[in-house]
Amino acid sequence: MKTPPPLGEGGVEADKPPAVTMRGITKRFPGVLANDGIDFEVLRGEIHALLGENGAGKSTLSNILTGLYRPDEGEILLHGKPVSFPAPRDAIEAGVGMVHQHFRLAASFTVAENLVLGHRDAADRGLLLEPRVVEGRIADLSRRYRMPVNPRARIWQLSVGEQQRVEILKVLYRGARILILDEPTSQLTPQEAEQLFQTLRLIAAEQRTIIFISHKLEEVMAVSNRVTVLRRGKVIGTVMTGNTNTRELARMMVGREVVFTKKKEGPAQAERQVALELRRVSANGELGTPALHDINLQVHAGEIVGVAGVAGNGQRELAEVITGLRRRTAGSVIVTGRQIRGGDPLEAIRRGVAYIPDDRLGTGVAPSLSVAENLVLKAFRRPPISTQGLLHPGRIRTNAVDLMQRFSIGASSPQVPARQLSGGNIQKVLLARELSSRPLLLVASSPTSGLDVGATDIVRGLLLETAGRGVGILLISEDLDEILALADRIAVLYDGRIRGVVERQDAHVEELGLMMAGAA
Amino acid sequence: MIRIERRLTEARWLVVAVPAGSLLAAAFLSGIILALTGHDPIGTWARLLDRGFLAEGAMSATFVTATPLLLTGLAAAAAFRMQTWNIGAEGQLYLGAVGASGIGIALHDQSPVLIIPAMVIAGIVTGAAWAAIPGVLRAYTRTNEIITSLMLNYVAGLLMTYLIFDSHSYWRDLSTFTARVFPQGKYLSDSASWPSLGLAGIAIPFGFLLGMVAAAALWLIYSRTRFGFEARVIGDSRAAAHYAGIRTRRKIVAVMALSGALAGIGGASEIGDFRHVLDPRGLQQASFGYAGIVVAALARLNPFAVVIVAILLGGLSNAGFSLQGATFPAGLVGTLQGLILFCALAGELLVHYRIRFVRRAAPLARAPEKFGAA
Amino acid sequence: MNNTILVVIAASAISYGTPLLFAALGELLAERSGVLNLGVEGMMLMGAVSGFWAVQTIGGPGWVVLLVAVLVAALVAAATSLIHAVLTISLRASQIVSGLALTIFAGASGLSSYVGHVASLGGQPARHEFAAIDVLGLKDLPIIGPILLHQNALTYLSWALVAVALFYLYRTRPGLHLRAVGESPATADAMGVNVTVYRYVHVMLGGALAGIGGAFFSLAITPGWLDGMTSGAGWIAIALVIFAFWRPELALVGAYLFGAFSSLGFTLQTRQVHLPPEVFSSLPYLMTIVVLVLVSTGWARQRLGAPASLGVPYVREER
Repeated sequence: MKTPPPLGEGGVEADKPPAVTMRGITKRFPGVLANDGIDFEVLRGEIHALLGENGAGKSTLSNILTGLYRPDEGEILLHGKPVSFPAPRDAIEAGVGMVHQHFRLAASFTVAENLVLGHRDAADRGLLLEPRVVEGRIADLSRRYRMPVNPRARIWQLSVGEQQRVEILKVLYRGARILILDEPTSQLTPQEAEQLFQTLRLIAAEQRTIIFISHKLEEVMAVSNRVTVLRRGKVIGTVMTGNTNTRELARMMVGREVVFTKKKEGPAQAERQVALELRRVSANGELGTPALHDINLQVHAGEIVGVAGVAGNGQRELAEVITGLRRRTAGSVIVTGRQIRGGDPLEAIRRGVAYIPDDRLGTGVAPSLSVAENLVLKAFRRPPISTQGLLHPGRIRTNAVDLMQRFSIGASSPQVPARQLSGGNIQKVLLARELSSRPLLLVASSPTSGLDVGATDIVRGLLLETAGRGVGILLISEDLDEILALADRIAVLYDGRIRGVVERQDAHVEELGLMMAGAA
Repeated sequence: MIRIERRLTEARWLVVAVPAGSLLAAAFLSGIILALTGHDPIGTWARLLDRGFLAEGAMSATFVTATPLLLTGLAAAAAFRMQTWNIGAEGQLYLGAVGASGIGIALHDQSPVLIIPAMVIAGIVTGAAWAAIPGVLRAYTRTNEIITSLMLNYVAGLLMTYLIFDSHSYWRDLSTFTARVFPQGKYLSDSASWPSLGLAGIAIPFGFLLGMVAAAALWLIYSRTRFGFEARVIGDSRAAAHYAGIRTRRKIVAVMALSGALAGIGGASEIGDFRHVLDPRGLQQASFGYAGIVVAALARLNPFAVVIVAILLGGLSNAGFSLQGATFPAGLVGTLQGLILFCALAGELLVHYRIRFVRRAAPLARAPEKFGAA
Repeated sequence: MNNTILVVIAASAISYGTPLLFAALGELLAERSGVLNLGVEGMMLMGAVSGFWAVQTIGGPGWVVLLVAVLVAALVAAATSLIHAVLTISLRASQIVSGLALTIFAGASGLSSYVGHVASLGGQPARHEFAAIDVLGLKDLPIIGPILLHQNALTYLSWALVAVALFYLYRTRPGLHLRAVGESPATADAMGVNVTVYRYVHVMLGGALAGIGGAFFSLAITPGWLDGMTSGAGWIAIALVIFAFWRPELALVGAYLFGAFSSLGFTLQTRQVHLPPEVFSSLPYLMTIVVLVLVSTGWARQRLGAPASLGVPYVREER
């Protein structure tokens, strides 16, 4: 990891008016004070990190800067001049560009079309599209920032890293002088992230300003000049990166000492039954192209096996093959010694396979149905919930009340539609449902993504407890820290293959990172 | 600046107020149209209400129209609850009529105890089969059921026309010279006439009674059975249904068939209760299948509400058609139904969302994530 | 040579296909913006009745009257489609139910019928009609004569519209914006494209074109006015849009294919081929089903899909 240049050297201009000044910014939403009197300043040519947990107010603040929201109080100055943004377009024209965490790209359009969309400048006002001119400009930008991209490629053909390049180019194409990147490395390998940082340094060297929103401490230390930490809508402090460390930043972020790794409690590693065995499993992905090749993996009862890897390398297909949502094209899936035919979620459910999908609201629950109904989403077929095809509403209700209490699910009543619950509570519903079915194997996909620290803690605790009761857990997660915290063994999935399986105590982040990028 | 926010809980009182309000609003709007075209709105409405509900024998006549609307309304409600858009109730009703009249003719000399159930079953089977076609196509080839069920309406209509007007089929009466020149269908025997229940001076047709039983059964199915639970999950989220191991494809076919069966009973009722002969022109003119969709939408897919709405709209329809002539505009019924539906749709918004007026323009936030990486 | 069955069928296929093409182009534009409008049949009938009314009521030289009639048809149908637009775009009602309501409201036994009866248009002989134009006197050229050079003005207009639509969608900025709105309204919105305006405009354009298609029935095919005279053409047009993968040039091909089947029945009957007319009449509907099944297969879905946001109201919500 390179140390960033101290302020005053490199591209940072400390003597000119700050590129961005936000004073006294306050923003309220129904029921929550998202930004509370925030003072925030970024110098020209600086890479400034905005650090905080989920819900700290980073997104709100950046949305105000990009014109998506209007602040209830406070003022914004760009390069010393007061500005106001009634609409996103005004911010874009003022030179503020945002690279979103979830890309705002039209999948079936080409790179060039995405860049040109909505763009208005003196040269581009015409009715007609001029593909060659646009391609020329894209080539220029590509060269300047060393981000090669094919203007004619369609977005769905590009890798995640390439798509992010398109997002960045989109912003640069409009001549943005202030770039905001929102959790930009959430889907990149460590090597791709390093490439991104180099690009950012090139951009900053031209006296463009970069605001880097993140919750990942290592990155913030690696790339930024200064860090501003937010917590619960307030600024906790602004420090120079060179003068601080991850522990201090974490403390500022969370307000308490954070223990970084959670040692696993539980029975000793004795000879245990194999809960899941995958033998030479292959499967195709959404587009019919192969997504999994020759996977061999074992999960023992009471063991947590973590599957690390950047999203898009076959994780979803892996989870779906095991849980019956997807047919495999080769190999066998064996749960507690019995082979599964596959392609049938009901069969998997009956064999004791539980699944917490990463798409909670889209797949894991029926959003308009009540919490109580969602809690019996798999159990409704059998007694005591139903007999002879008839449901027992009374038992559905008591089941719900019981589970809501045991898992502290925060909802005003069991009849509330599931969609009204917060992300954390929906996850608790999923956990409650899946765990109460006494599974033999639990497949958990990104179980804590999007949850705040409190909820994350609870979920991780539940997973450990479940493993302690003898359930085999396959933990699929993009969050390497999470896997390092929970897993007994770690498998790395890259390009549909298992690149390696290591025991927890033998794992090194760098080696894992290389495997995740297919380089080892 | 108007801001629309989703309500946290459905406003209960609005659930009844919206359909009622939309009827009133539609009445008002249609009044404007009538006035603009030289008709007397109040007078027209008075005649409608009188002829539909109040006059001597009006309610009985209303039940005649309400019966098929009840059945096609239930057909639509049954399917729409699961987000399978069965627009084919029209054709499924025709097939039900064909099936029931065929059986009725074949069993002409049997006792009513045999003929009537046979007709009902024939209606169920033919209606269900016709609806199963778009159901199967949707379930197994993912073909949009709106268009396929719709196209089959036209094919069913042509089939009926063929049977009576362009063929020497079993359904056609070829016994007299007149009948051979001016095509018509064979009349069913008296023993194939469905009974009716006399209640407070109103004759309630057997078909309507069947419909009420069907409404109760439909409500039970959706709220108390595994089948209904699974159907609701599918209607809410296909992904969640798949995840939960629900056999979506079979359900789709089953629900479509159920829907078609209900429409088929409607067709059988048309033959057994009212027409006693296969009457292609009359059935196509009446458009019961499409009207059933209006009924279901207005009743917000609740089976019991369908009963009430069917009577209401039946009265209007009945009045509209019976008043038709030089002094009464044709096309008013469709216009009215459309207006009611528009108002109901607009009112539906109020049930789920709250409208607030804010002074400052507050631009939007994160928009729905349609495209993420990987 | 020009009397061979193929040429005759081709020529009349174009005739019957023209209203389908107008309506399909219109619905294509609406769906490209992400709004499904099932009310096409109703809007065609509104166009048919109002166009005919205009022809019977307005005085002046033939071609002026016809031009005005077409404009009237377009405007009336566009105004009718505005109801659907308001309900589905601003009030976020279900697009399916709203479209159906529109068909019931405006269609046969609905407002179009009401207007037709109030104005006593049924049975009136048309005072003007769109007759086939003999282009440069070349109508008797072998094969291309009757097919290409002997159509009426509206048909030629429809060809021009296909070209315009293609150019608009793929070569202009507003066309790109339209495709973006349909494909990913969130992206378009973030890039400063006004999703609401685009949807309103294109739904109404769809209505206008459907109206012209309907006017073709009352001003060219029949001519005259009958209740429900489009006999389901609007529904076929909706299927046609899917068949054409939302591309104008494929809509052209599809419209004539379907038109061919519609006219096949009549043509074969005049040639003494004895099959019940219902067999032919049902062919367009059955073909639509077959085509739809083929289009819905996995392969087709992967390569060419519907505008991704079709049927989904675009919701701008504060967090």
